[in-house]
Amino acid sequence: MNALKWFGDLDKRWLYLLLLLVVVFPLLRPLGIPIDVTASTSQFIAAVDKLAPGDRMLLVFDYSIGGGPDVDPQAQVVLAHALSRGVRVVEVAFVDTGLNYAVKTVELWESKGKVYGTDIICLGYATGVETAISAFAQNISAVFPTDVRGKPIGSYPIMQGLKTAADFKLITEFATGIPGPAEWIRQVVTRFKVPLGCGVVAVMGPQNVPYLQSGQLVGLLGGGLKSAAEYEIAVKMPGAATAAMDAQSLGHLMIVLFVILGNLLFLVERQERRAAKVGGVRA
Amino acid sequence: MNLATAKVWAGALCVFACYSFLWKENRFFRVFQNLYVGLAAGYSLVVNFNNVRRQAWGPLTTKGDIWVIIPMIFGIMLFARLFRKYAWIARYPMAFLMGLGSALSMKAIESDFVRQIQASLISWKGVGLGGTLNNLMLSLGTALALVYFFFTFKPNVVSNAAGRVGRWVLMLCFGAAFGSAVQGRLSLLISQMQFMLKDWLHLIS
Repeated sequence: MNALKWFGDLDKRWLYLLLLLVVVFPLLRPLGIPIDVTASTSQFIAAVDKLAPGDRMLLVFDYSIGGGPDVDPQAQVVLAHALSRGVRVVEVAFVDTGLNYAVKTVELWESKGKVYGTDIICLGYATGVETAISAFAQNISAVFPTDVRGKPIGSYPIMQGLKTAADFKLITEFATGIPGPAEWIRQVVTRFKVPLGCGVVAVMGPQNVPYLQSGQLVGLLGGGLKSAAEYEIAVKMPGAATAAMDAQSLGHLMIVLFVILGNLLFLVERQERRAAKVGGVRA
Repeated sequence: MNLATAKVWAGALCVFACYSFLWKENRFFRVFQNLYVGLAAGYSLVVNFNNVRRQAWGPLTTKGDIWVIIPMIFGIMLFARLFRKYAWIARYPMAFLMGLGSALSMKAIESDFVRQIQASLISWKGVGLGGTLNNLMLSLGTALALVYFFFTFKPNVVSNAAGRVGRWVLMLCFGAAFGSAVQGRLSLLISQMQFMLKDWLHLIS
């Protein structure tokens, strides 16, 4: 009981320090806690595996800087997987900060030998959220007359024959808010019947599961960094997300412990308050 | 010190400044907080300026596409809000935008309403015991959560009991969302620590 009260009175900064140590330790000394691949991640991988070399996939960077660490590893591994299968990738962003990630990604893959305009292209960013998505789906060149480098998109081999969203074999969208899966399902999946796979920050995961269950999504990476790690393990491309999983597991364990201790303390204090109240009435 | 190293050191400084808030509110943190807000605003301004130039100004001046003048005028009209005397002008593009938004969101009737009802109408018998339990939870959970929001008739014992279970279903859902939120925040911390240990201190590869 005294230990619980000591915990309750503890300066919360000690808890922050403890959490920091718990996170840093496994990064320095990996523990190798096993990672299971969930069904929704397997479905996403299967959707990318279905693509044939030369097929075109749309990759949408709808994420902010704040949520980037949770979603960017997902986008990176999906892109790496698609490119490794010879799939051609068209990148766009409907969130302004997403453009930054898209441009960096293109530069990275160019440095690895992929040809800009043939294997991969970045069309840029369009403002207007859902309206822009709807317009893009109906007529790509009307929303993006030029790519991010200022050249007409029709001048690139990868863009030949691409007129509407229906011309993509698969759309993958990575989001941290609005626009997110709901907007893409409304404006693109419902009308153009294109398979859509989404990756979202962990907090958005549960609310998007119904779309997966209804078949409106072909795959969902709904667990943030954890989903990215699952994908990396499944396609045998371990990266930053896999390396972070030990830290994530230990951090969660500690937070669960804090929640249990906090609730126990709450119950003890409530019992004491009630006892004091009854004692006061009797007196 | 080359540019790449300077970037890493600047990043490390930002991480220290942001996390110093956990110790206590301080001037160091506030400086970097304002810097972040300023950078985000500046970045957004540049990206959106380029967007207008590429999607409207470019087609108008190079291809002679005069139709883009209409959205450009509507965009300029929105700025009338900055002047009290002419603020009414901004109502017209605003009304257009609201109408457009309403029309676009009508598609939600199919995607969020019809398709979700269809997906809830499933056979209770699933693959194995786990599958059956999952299907039961999906169907009953949806129905009970909906009962919690029935306000149009006088409550009775049955509806009260069903509503109470529905509330538990909602709480489970909120719990899952909270757990996911914690997971997301922890990911941000881990990502920053990976940056500090790998790029700044070179302690991990």
